[in-house]
Amino acid sequence: MNLSRVFTKALTSSPERQQEADADLTVVKQVQAGDVAAFDRLILKYRERVFGVVYNLTANREDASDLTQDAFIKAFQSIHRFQGHCAFFTWLYKIAINTTLSHLRKNRARSFFSLEKITEDGVNAQVIDQLTDKKGADRDACLQELKEKLNEALQKLSIPHRTVITLFEIDGLSHSEIAEVMGCSEGTVRSRLHYAKQFLQGELGKYLRS
Amino acid sequence: MDQRPKVTVEDLLRLKRAERPAAEFWNGFERELRQKQLAALLEKRPWWRELPQLLARRAYLPVGATAILAFTLVSVKYYAPSQSESVMVPAAGAPGAADHEAAGSAAPVSSPLVNRGETVAAMGSGPMTDSPVAAEPTAEVMSRLMESREAERPSARLLADNYNGLAATEADFGKEVLSNRLSPPVRVATVASTDELASVPNPTSRRNRLLAQYEGRQLNPEPAPPAVVRERLARRLGNAESADRGSRMSRELDAFGTPMPQIVAFRF
Repeated sequence: MNLSRVFTKALTSSPERQQEADADLTVVKQVQAGDVAAFDRLILKYRERVFGVVYNLTANREDASDLTQDAFIKAFQSIHRFQGHCAFFTWLYKIAINTTLSHLRKNRARSFFSLEKITEDGVNAQVIDQLTDKKGADRDACLQELKEKLNEALQKLSIPHRTVITLFEIDGLSHSEIAEVMGCSEGTVRSRLHYAKQFLQGELGKYLRS
Repeated sequence: MDQRPKVTVEDLLRLKRAERPAAEFWNGFERELRQKQLAALLEKRPWWRELPQLLARRAYLPVGATAILAFTLVSVKYYAPSQSESVMVPAAGAPGAADHEAAGSAAPVSSPLVNRGETVAAMGSGPMTDSPVAAEPTAEVMSRLMESREAERPSARLLADNYNGLAATEADFGKEVLSNRLSPPVRVATVASTDELASVPNPTSRRNRLLAQYEGRQLNPEPAPPAVVRERLARRLGNAESADRGSRMSRELDAFGTPMPQIVAFRF
């Protein structure tokens, strides 16, 4: 078995992820062989997830759009260096997060929120119902307020803590994947996650019910 | 009691997961991304972007060797000791120059390695002495030097003009002035020889005092130390002999199995 496959297996937790990583590797090899159009498939596959992560880190739609594009461009420019030691999405996330973090460090003082519309599927609608207990315009107003409070609370977190909780709770990455993306240990990831949750509980206590 | 189900932080964050842009947003996103991608394809990448790749290919050894070589070359080029400037010696055909070469000064006159006393003595024995006859060639040398080295400077031209005017009006005064403007060895040579220097009482010149002190002194090929020194030396040698004797005895006693302290050995 190839060494890169061993690494990839160690980093991808589930069989679905492994299958996904294998499929990505095939596309990446096509791009590396000169099939530039094959990269579009990777863009289409990952653009929403990458945008989601970047958006939750920046809380600004325009910045998130630019940073996501930059991340894809950087990935495209450096794809010949990708050797398959980790899954492609981990590598892409790493590029996106590093790009976002450097942007946030440069524009630390700037905080301009722009909120996206929440897609109300079954689970979300249930949570919103529990939180608002209202209908019609009041419900929308409550939801808007909740979104603002959520964004505010997330932006109060430090950049590493915000990154960890975004990747774990919102994007669903495992501890090991987050550790790989952020270049730290799993213990650090767990510690940051714990602290971030505690902080958010304190900030959003008004909306929580135990 | 509140019968409603729990709402946790995770539930709230799940709402963030559902926060997605509309479909129209992705059209604009794709268009912008396409433009940036084309620009990136056309853009020439700077050379330092390729450095990590070079390192990954384990090319650091030749790169490091090249860097060290380049650094060494640059260091040698810029930090090597500068070569001493060659002092312009008058042409061999000039009378003053001939005298100067006869003095045996292969090194430049201004070099600190030159023994000034020897130069002075040698030049003093030559024909260049303090006389109007000697002033004539020095004037020529001076004029040649001025013509060759400093003719291009306006100040030099002005000086030359002044000198010519001076020489035309007051010839003796001009020669006297020129004899004082010559280079140090030549000037000293024009002043006096060593004998004269020794005879001149100049309390401020240490060199002249030393010359006067060592004038006519015969060097002894085997200098004998003073009586006091000889006496001390003999005493020390005697002590050393007795110490040697004592240490020898202690070694013999050690050989017999009786350890003898070193301090006892020194008392012999």
